[in-house]
Amino acid sequence: MLSKLGILFIIGTLFTSLSIIFLTFKELKAIDNLIPSKIYKFSLFQLFFSISSFFVLLLAYILSDFSLVNVYENSHSNKPLFYKISGTWGNHEGSLLLWINILVLFSSLFLFLTKNSDKSFKILTLLFQNLLIITFLIFLLTNSNPFSELFPVPLEGLGLNPILQDPALAIHPPLLYIGFVGSSIYFSAALAALISKIDSQSFAISIKSWVLVSWFFQTVGILVGSIWAYYELGWGGYWFWDPVENSSLMPWFVMTALLHSILVLERRIGLYSWVIVLSILTFTMSVTGTFLVRSGILNSVHTFASDPSRGLFILSFLVLMVFSSIFIFFKFSPKENKKYSIFSKEAFIIANNWFMIFFLGVVLIGTLYPVLLDTITGSKISVGPPYYNLILAPFLIPLLFLMTSGPNYKWISNDVRSLFNLVLVLSVTFFLITFFLIKENNLLINLILFFSIYLITQTLFDFYESFKKKNINISRIISHLGFGLLIFFIYINHIFSVENNFNLKLGETKKTDYYTIKFVNLEEQSIKNYKSIIGYFNVSNKKNFTSKELRPEIRVYDKPFTITYEASINSNLFSDTYLTMSNISDTDVFNIKFQVKPFMNLIWLSVLLLSLGGVLNFFKRKKNEKN
Amino acid sequence: MKNIIKALILFLLIFSQSYGDENLSNQILKNLRCLVCQGQTVHDSNSDFALTIKSVVKDKIKEGNNEREIYTFLSEKYGDWILLNPPLKKSSFLLWFLPYLLFFLGIIFLFFLIKKPKIGP
Repeated sequence: MLSKLGILFIIGTLFTSLSIIFLTFKELKAIDNLIPSKIYKFSLFQLFFSISSFFVLLLAYILSDFSLVNVYENSHSNKPLFYKISGTWGNHEGSLLLWINILVLFSSLFLFLTKNSDKSFKILTLLFQNLLIITFLIFLLTNSNPFSELFPVPLEGLGLNPILQDPALAIHPPLLYIGFVGSSIYFSAALAALISKIDSQSFAISIKSWVLVSWFFQTVGILVGSIWAYYELGWGGYWFWDPVENSSLMPWFVMTALLHSILVLERRIGLYSWVIVLSILTFTMSVTGTFLVRSGILNSVHTFASDPSRGLFILSFLVLMVFSSIFIFFKFSPKENKKYSIFSKEAFIIANNWFMIFFLGVVLIGTLYPVLLDTITGSKISVGPPYYNLILAPFLIPLLFLMTSGPNYKWISNDVRSLFNLVLVLSVTFFLITFFLIKENNLLINLILFFSIYLITQTLFDFYESFKKKNINISRIISHLGFGLLIFFIYINHIFSVENNFNLKLGETKKTDYYTIKFVNLEEQSIKNYKSIIGYFNVSNKKNFTSKELRPEIRVYDKPFTITYEASINSNLFSDTYLTMSNISDTDVFNIKFQVKPFMNLIWLSVLLLSLGGVLNFFKRKKNEKN
Repeated sequence: MKNIIKALILFLLIFSQSYGDENLSNQILKNLRCLVCQGQTVHDSNSDFALTIKSVVKDKIKEGNNEREIYTFLSEKYGDWILLNPPLKKSSFLLWFLPYLLFFLGIIFLFFLIKKPKIGP
């Protein structure tokens, strides 16, 4: 029943999308300057059908309707309601439906919210966006239908992978999807801008909000995914340079570049072609990432849905998309005055873009190289964290420096110059204090720490200045401050992290340099959909005589049978105490991993600060529009 | 200017190789892929495979092997797939140099782009 209803709504979406394509195509030849109300109506219907189909699938999950193959394979009636809901997008078919919903949502929002824009630009954007929608609908219907029926109807489902049963994991895919699927709208808009030949400034203004929105969600999505990895995977790390993580980072780099270069395009004519290229590249990177994740050609912790036939479809789509974009780009390439002069401030923005594209390049090379090498020569190599750290870390230094000096370059007067020096003196002082506290002897790390402190100090000064003068970009200050703090805390965290691995029996005590860890008790519990073995540990600090109780768990899920190790984390603003235990087969000995990780919460807060800058910019923009 | 940057980067690379006095065994284990797991390092895994490798590495350190010798030993036995830090070889030459090439091409490109302006404000 729900299956048929779902398919009906999908067909409805398909039909309305086709109608929109037909109408917009017809409208291209019309001479009047008004978008017919028919298009608006169809867009509303399309949105209604698409959201309804998603709700039908959601309902099927909530009601545990196992007549749907998708629900049977990924859910179980015993599962808590929250995870039944998140199970909807915790699998390939469901997430594809969510993907389509976001394409449709952005299509409608663009149509209804973009005002005072060129008609043919709007119409063409809608046309391209709906071509994307159609392609993914066909993919959904022919290859990955979440509404496929199962007969006879099984009594019980197979259950959701327990590692996916987690609040942070449940919400981070929708966040990331809004981020990188949202980038589709400026992909479509870029192609439309080329063909309709609208001027660069109105293009910049019309896509800026969308770039900000997708950038914000992408940033927060990466943050939540990272927090999830930190406490759920039980290794105490938060970024593994895993291919799936890289796939979310690649569009982020391009979005960040785009965000900066739009600032130029908004005010001046320069960089039009480049902004178009970046707009196209963002969505291309999103689809590339999706291809890498879904096709299963990568080995990753996060892989949950891989199948070669899906890979083939996405790859063909990707190739088609890239080649048609290139074709459109060269056929309609804007005739730009290439001899524009680049003023100081813009040179810095271009430098930012170069760094972003460089980072993108490194991550892309690191992710794809092993795959290509394997295909061509058959030899397998791994590219892991050491590679990325070694190549990327030195480039943080010039990046941090450019972020410090770039934004202030334009208004350096003598008055400010003295302030500038004061900042430098203060930064050196702060750095020396840090240096004597941490006694780190690695030059690279020290340089990175110094330049991050310099950036932090400078942005704090800018913040103070912005209260005196009114013309300073506060969102930039907040974001750059967030980035400076992020790098600073990442390195401080790296230096001060303590880790001990040892084996312990119940009742035993382990003494490390600064801590005493006592294995106090062991308890078994039966929770709704799993059994849990809980260890009670008492961790006391020898220095300040405080003690904490930590309770790591080993969970045994039976639907499907999986064992997970739940870390117990005692978290406060300045330091996390992190403990995981795992059983060693056939013994009563437990392997304990004990870690003290300083400033974890400050790392998360820095990323929030970074994304907050985007939000402020968004609202500042809205306010300016009203005035 | 370019030469200075090149020299600086080489200099930094040499320095970033030394990792302070972190526990050698942990450092090695963090650079090894657990072959039976999905994207975990040997250090982070408690699988039988990881436990074996852990004890092998421990023994090798006791025997007086240095980090590089241990990597070579393991890659001869399990292939380069086990090393998360791909060694510089013919097959990984591009992997290591393409990024730098990319960066310097960019610098040259930007250099010409930015050189052009008629005096700005």
